[in-house]
Amino acid sequence: MRKGVRTANQVRQVSRGGPGRALGGATALLLILLSATAGRAAAQVDTIPGAVRHLGVVYESYVPTLAISPFTGRFGGLTVAPRVEAVIARDLRYSDRFEMMDSIPLAPGGGGVDYGLWDQFGADWLVTGQVEGLGNRFVLVLELHDVVFSEVKERARFSLPRPDAEDFRMAIHAISDDVVRWITGEPGMAASRICFSMESAAGSQELYVVDSDGENLRRLTNFNSLTMSCSWSPDGSRLAFLSFASGDPAIHEMEIATRQTRVLDFNRTGQPMTPVYHPNGEEIIFSLADGAESGLFSWRVREDCCLWRLTAGRWNDLSPSFSPDGRRLAFNSNRLGVAIPQIYVMPAESGGRPDLVSPYLYGQGGYYTSPDWAPSGDRVAFHGRYRRGSYHILIADVAAQGQRLLQLTYEGNNEDPSWAPDGRHLVFVGERDWGFGLFVVDTVSGRIRPVLSGVRPRVPDWSPNLASTEAPTREN
Amino acid sequence: MLHRGLIISVVAAGLFVASCGQEELPPPPVEEGPNQDSIDAARRAAEEAARRAAEEEARRAAALEAAREALTAMVFFDFDMAEIRSDAEGVLQRKVDVLRASPAVQLRIEGHADERGSSEYNLALGSRRAEAVRQFFVNAGLAQSRFDVRSYGEEQPREMGSNEQSWAQNRRDEFVITAGGNQIQVPGGGQ
Repeated sequence: MRKGVRTANQVRQVSRGGPGRALGGATALLLILLSATAGRAAAQVDTIPGAVRHLGVVYESYVPTLAISPFTGRFGGLTVAPRVEAVIARDLRYSDRFEMMDSIPLAPGGGGVDYGLWDQFGADWLVTGQVEGLGNRFVLVLELHDVVFSEVKERARFSLPRPDAEDFRMAIHAISDDVVRWITGEPGMAASRICFSMESAAGSQELYVVDSDGENLRRLTNFNSLTMSCSWSPDGSRLAFLSFASGDPAIHEMEIATRQTRVLDFNRTGQPMTPVYHPNGEEIIFSLADGAESGLFSWRVREDCCLWRLTAGRWNDLSPSFSPDGRRLAFNSNRLGVAIPQIYVMPAESGGRPDLVSPYLYGQGGYYTSPDWAPSGDRVAFHGRYRRGSYHILIADVAAQGQRLLQLTYEGNNEDPSWAPDGRHLVFVGERDWGFGLFVVDTVSGRIRPVLSGVRPRVPDWSPNLASTEAPTREN
Repeated sequence: MLHRGLIISVVAAGLFVASCGQEELPPPPVEEGPNQDSIDAARRAAEEAARRAAEEEARRAAALEAAREALTAMVFFDFDMAEIRSDAEGVLQRKVDVLRASPAVQLRIEGHADERGSSEYNLALGSRRAEAVRQFFVNAGLAQSRFDVRSYGEEQPREMGSNEQSWAQNRRDEFVITAGGNQIQVPGGGQ
């Protein structure tokens, strides 16, 4: 009965008896639509955004259940197997794409995979793994089983770095991302890091980096001065940031592997800020405030030359972020008024007229800053508030020009969103009753989890994918 | 000039009158050796002069210190604003007076914001606040090249609290003397 054309989740949904099972995993999301007539909605106060209606549209999506059978070991691999399994299990949980069954003490059914039993447990997918010792190294043989169709969907061998090597966890994260791609066809975000700035024990603000799962918090700079606004190069090897390390505020670039840092000298007066890489990796776009004017400028980092002005005016244009194809730019500007910064999108070649994507309404105020363009799809995340309300994370549909917004946070204050390489998650700085922290929100389910708490991080930037598995030997 | 000449002649006339009057008194007793009274008087006069000089020096030092304080006194801003507040104008005018009297002095104007709003937007806000004060100085006729502006955004608060009292203290410009710190002249202190 289950043979035949294999379709995706709809088939699973039907075979499992409808969406009832999936409801638990699917979290309600509110789609916020700007009301057609602004004046009518103007009476609302202190919510974000002011003139919206909460339509209460609930998106239900089918979330498959994924089980992980305890990893086994051969030739001494058992010493490492639980560690490998734990990292993969957490990565798959944090991917927010599955209902997880990963705390099973023993593999049911002993040796072989008993699909009938896993099916009774409600699993759609099953991951099994065996770690084999190979000299002083290890190999992970990973299998993805399609429980519904009672067959092995993928099988691959991954050689692992030595368990005490610095890149051990990152190599396993890359395997987790492969599992996500096997099942969903979409990129994962486990093999990535988040850069941000934070006050060090010595009292200066330095750059830090943490793995996507909150492990491996490390300090990158020791400049003993204000350093902030880090931005990853598209290949993940370099960071651009603002620092006062040399006395004057300047854009710096660091080669992460060697920590070698240089100051970009534009030979121009004014304070540069908010640098970001062009997707081609060869240019940096940043804001320069000089005198009463400010604007966005580009600089060719490879050749170390050629300051080029994209915008300028008697206001502030800042926090640029490129569309993935590099053709458009989202940025923040207070050109409509000093206390009402808004988010704009414009062609990356200067001269085009900027379009609003934040929900500005004449005379209604509203404060929207820190745009970040999604790595997939024409969506821009930013944070903002309406009048004197709290700051929340919002996503705008670029094509809708501020008319369609998704609000992702409802608690505390929330700032500076940055997209994960999977185009689905955002990291942001959250303020709660108990303090500050770095949080990740899944933009599909609305689920929020803390990455770091009890610290005061600033302006996080999520890296691109930093590791991929080296052409795993597929065995199916 | 005319006044000074007049004063000198009047004083001279007074002395003449006084000495004329003294001549009518009986001559003082003639004593051998140094006159103890005149020695004491000289010493007292010297001490008095030293005291006066010290006082004058202290007064000048205090005036110099006041001028230095005027240069580095902070100015504060309203929430999300970079306009010079009326209560800041007096503070800035005193800086202008000192800067006019002290052409060697150069200042760095450092703009700051309170913690509300985004870190990057507050960098821009701090830069507008620093620039607003530089414009005030330029409009007062001072050379723009004497001023360096920069912004620390919300990253270096003076007060750590999350309330209006702290925020009001953090929305500010600070001033650092970057050149001519030993050549500050007290305005109007030339005579």
